Amino acid sequence: MTQVTINETDDSVPEAPLYALTDVTRSFTKGGVTVNALRGINLEISRGETISLEGPSGSGKTTLLQLLGALDSPTTGQIRFAGRSLEDESDKVLTEIRSREIGFVFQQFNLIPTLSADENVAIAMAPREPSHEKRQTRAQELLEQVGLGDRRGHLPSRLSGGEQQRVAIARALANSPEVIIADEPTGNLDSANAKELMSLLDELQRRSGVTIIIATHDEEVAGHARRRIRIRDGSLASDSRP
Amino acid sequence: MFSLSYAWNELRRRIGRTIVTAIGLAAGVGLVMAIIGVSQGLSDAQGKALSPLKSVGTDIIVTRTVAPTLSTATTTTTLPNGFGGGPGSGGGFPGGNGGGGFFARGGSLNNSDTAALAAANSSVITDLAKLGPAGTKFTHDFFVPGTLITFPTQAVNTVARIKGVTGAVGALSLDALHESGTVPKITASIKTGSQTISTTVKPPVLTAAQQAAERTCIEGIINKQLGSTTTTVPGSGTGGSSGGTPPSGGIGGGGFRFGGGDTSAFAKCLTPAQKAYQQNVVIPERTVTQVLNPPSTNTSTSTYTVAGINPAVTGSGLVTKAQLVKGAWLSATPSVAKSQVLVTTAYASQKGLKVGQTLTINKVGYTIVGLVNPTLTGDVSDVYFSLSNLQSLSSNTSRINEVLVSVASSKDVSRVAKAIKAALPGATVLTSASLADQVTGSLANARKLANDLGGALAVVVLLAAFLIAGLLTLSSVSKRVREIGSLRAIGWSRGRVVRQIMAETLGIGVAGGILGIGVGAAICLIIGAIGPGLSVTSTGLAVGASKVSGLIGQTTSATVAHTVHLTAPIHPSTILIAFAGALLGGVIAGAAGGWRAARLSPASALRDLG
Repeated sequence: MTQVTINETDDSVPEAPLYALTDVTRSFTKGGVTVNALRGINLEISRGETISLEGPSGSGKTTLLQLLGALDSPTTGQIRFAGRSLEDESDKVLTEIRSREIGFVFQQFNLIPTLSADENVAIAMAPREPSHEKRQTRAQELLEQVGLGDRRGHLPSRLSGGEQQRVAIARALANSPEVIIADEPTGNLDSANAKELMSLLDELQRRSGVTIIIATHDEEVAGHARRRIRIRDGSLASDSRP
Repeated sequence: MFSLSYAWNELRRRIGRTIVTAIGLAAGVGLVMAIIGVSQGLSDAQGKALSPLKSVGTDIIVTRTVAPTLSTATTTTTLPNGFGGGPGSGGGFPGGNGGGGFFARGGSLNNSDTAALAAANSSVITDLAKLGPAGTKFTHDFFVPGTLITFPTQAVNTVARIKGVTGAVGALSLDALHESGTVPKITASIKTGSQTISTTVKPPVLTAAQQAAERTCIEGIINKQLGSTTTTVPGSGTGGSSGGTPPSGGIGGGGFRFGGGDTSAFAKCLTPAQKAYQQNVVIPERTVTQVLNPPSTNTSTSTYTVAGINPAVTGSGLVTKAQLVKGAWLSATPSVAKSQVLVTTAYASQKGLKVGQTLTINKVGYTIVGLVNPTLTGDVSDVYFSLSNLQSLSSNTSRINEVLVSVASSKDVSRVAKAIKAALPGATVLTSASLADQVTGSLANARKLANDLGGALAVVVLLAAFLIAGLLTLSSVSKRVREIGSLRAIGWSRGRVVRQIMAETLGIGVAGGILGIGVGAAICLIIGAIGPGLSVTSTGLAVGASKVSGLIGQTTSATVAHTVHLTAPIHPSTILIAFAGALLGGVIAGAAGGWRAARLSPASALRDLG
């Protein structure tokens, strides 16, 4: 077990980490067999970091991502996010946290196929912003930020993979989250588009200081991260800052 | 709550699924509409055919039938003169038409009632001998009350006084028997006489005194005759000699002259027994059998029904002015109405009668002033006279056999019916509800079927539609696991996801409802256009079943068979029900989909994705 504490600047006033995971385990029971997906993770993540989560399939990356994304609760251990514990929170509170603090980018983009690009972005604001107009305006701004201002009315099926993923990034940014969790964001993109996407994420991170956690197999993508965490068999194998 | 544009886009862009689900709901809703429409159509048909009292402005009919009716009334009701027998007497219906009490205390038909009924119906016997000389063509109409016993018209007033009764009108409904033919020669030749009756008579023997008296008398006469005869011509006597004394000269030689003299003189000398003799002769008893030729007749008999109505009352009664199809109503002036009749369209077409024609009954001509089409189940008669006219024609002066009662409110019907039964013990009180039970035929069967199965069928069809919509939505939600998981991941609560799916299925429900109303309306219109026929058979009032016509093996038009064409009307309530059904289907489908979606945890959605 490795406990890693990273501060952006050593001389700054110590700030409470965005995430603090203590002895987090997560096990699933399937057909009477218990699978220990995570086996005692201790991890701290500070605001503004760009982190890559690497590891082979079945190593527990996605499970860790789910816990970090407040999509799931640990079997044992503690997860503190932005100063509060997530492990005992209700579905309602976790939903609220996801809505306000966390943005997701998925490998399959996961856009709503029946909604246009701007509607897909706006729909993420629906729980918090009652005004349809305000949502649309903000969606338009975000699409412009990701370079799709002129494609706002297009359905996902009319957009390329790279464009769809940029819409997904715009959606992830819709509620100005603390953290963006991206699961294999370039998995379905060609290398040129993947490169472009990573540049976009870098730029967003620079501009907004948002924390970005990316699960990836892609070395090139992982290379964009300033901190690389490797997982093997449900445990942290390495945690390094190149 | 939910995103309207999202729901709209879902429906619009997944148009195939929307249409299939909506069609499923529409089919169900349309079928339900058709079932309701047909059921409504059957109700309407029943309303027309089975609730005749309403259409003649009548809620209750009061009659008195032969059918035994039990009354539990124990109170003594003060009835007008001529009503009712003594309490407990069991009488109350003296024979003939005379002043019959209305209803027997104790209710059931008693011997005197039966006798009255028999007497009332006895006039149906035709005495050929009284119809005129042989060869005379005759027609004769008899009016008999059948099993519907008459009672004094005062009953109308009794009923009218009951609280809640807004109108009561009396009517006389009779069976008519029409006979026509030629008076036959009714003669028989019976041979009598040519009989020999012999008897031996033995006169009584004279007593000695009688003999002496007779001798003295004869001698006196002889002596007298001898004394007056001066000349005697010997041997000239013509008569027989009494003999005895041999003729002698001088005196004899002659006989008594009876012939030329007074021959009756000796008769005076006879004894009374010799003068007149009497004896009884008994002819032995025997039977004479002789074949007689029966009179040859061509008498034919037909029956029809007649009713007497009050021409002044046009809104209620056995037939109303509203049911006048052609011509005019009976005149309110009795002297004019006396020669007028109304006939039903059915009877007119059967007999080829037209307005203006004359209907001859018992040698009196009646002008047909109008054709009427009374309702099916009521006491339908063929010919309608003015009440007073029929009363005098049928020797039922001031007597009726039906009271048609209208009641202020339909809620009062049963109460008023009870009050009538109490006021007129033994009365048969019919309401619309009891009349409807007497109707048979395919309409009644269909109605029964609709009642028994219609509701269940509608429920089954609707449930099937809901099931289809629910399954389609469930399948749709299952295909949207990634989408719903993503929504949950980006901060949509369970409730919001469920509401969103509900909104979509409600939209499908609205579409299905609109489509279903179209489908249902089309089915209803097609049913209406085809108009399948349903037969309705009614025996009319309870009296109809056992009228005189039945006794002689004929049916009258009082037993009516009609064909009613089925329609499937679309009432606003049906449309509302259909629409509500479709919306309910949408809600149920949404609940199914929502339940499925709510069970998706955002984590498993991501796992599914990842």
